[in-house]
Amino acid sequence: MTTSEAVQAVVKVMTPYIGDTMARSATQAHCQKLGIAGDTVSPEQVEALLGKLGGGLNIFLGRDKSASVVAEARQALAAAGGSR
Amino acid sequence: MSRNGVPRVLPWAILGVAVALYVGWALAPASPLYTQLLSPHRLLALAAVLKLAYLLAGAALAFACRDRLEADNPARPAWFLLSLGLLANFAGQLCLAPFQVVRNQTPFPSVADIFYVLAYPFLIAALLVLLNAYREAGFPIGSLVDRAVTLGAVGVIAAVVAVPILRPVAETGGPLLDRILTVAYPVLDLVLLLPLALLLRIALKLRGSHAGEVWVLILGGIVFLCAGDICFAYFQSLGETHLDPFVHATFVLAYGLIAGGAHRQLRLLES
Repeated sequence: MTTSEAVQAVVKVMTPYIGDTMARSATQAHCQKLGIAGDTVSPEQVEALLGKLGGGLNIFLGRDKSASVVAEARQALAAAGGSR
Repeated sequence: MSRNGVPRVLPWAILGVAVALYVGWALAPASPLYTQLLSPHRLLALAAVLKLAYLLAGAALAFACRDRLEADNPARPAWFLLSLGLLANFAGQLCLAPFQVVRNQTPFPSVADIFYVLAYPFLIAALLVLLNAYREAGFPIGSLVDRAVTLGAVGVIAAVVAVPILRPVAETGGPLLDRILTVAYPVLDLVLLLPLALLLRIALKLRGSHAGEVWVLILGGIVFLCAGDICFAYFQSLGETHLDPFVHATFVLAYGLIAGGAHRQLRLLES
């Protein structure tokens, strides 16, 4: 899966909860920290990214809700990957 | 419609009417509404009750938010501190309420000021803990330079606005404790404004979202709280008591917005 597709899918799921600007800048910041810089992203990198984003969402949504948003993002990523 | 059957818009409508009532009182005190139906005593008593209700609701809702978050959630202490800050304000208002409701008086200074002053460390700490939670969670809170520029800008604006307001307040004659307290409130508010400015910057990035709604309401409420304190200090020291309705409107709005924000957060955690 391409990095931009993955970022797009994750941002779309998080936007209702933390807004497009924050979702995008948080995702980009975590990608940078995790060394996700190439054109493609591995499943392990996606999982690491979701873990970091889930930890951040905890602050606003609590652990349960945050976990359900991450699960939603995982489904969106699977759908985006499967549609290729 | 909310879960308990109350239309969601109703609490906001009540808050809007309450604020409009006090702004109207300041702008048109000679109108029949204020001369025939609502006496100053009734309005002061109503303001006391509204403030108590919003503060108690805000404190309880903030505590419920703290309770819903896990023990290791970095935002949990912030909700607890916010709850304590609101509770301290509630205790202060509770001390004033009997005088306001029964005697149509607002003693100053009084025991209430101990609680009002005590609220500040809790509120300031709540905002700092929240900022730290954002940073720990990896949310972009701006570079060191960005933050320094924001703080510097707020500091300069606060000084430009506050100094001309505080100078006559400090120079007014009267007991030392009165003057200390009258200056202390706006100064503490300016300290509160510093972390608030950084958080408002982050809240802008949350706009259009559920979390954004929560933080725009809460931080907006704290902005009105600061404005109310500064107006109180100014009007009190200069004897402009006819402007007190504006102070009531500002505090009612501040407490209502904070309670509303805490309610939105609780709904988000329960969803």
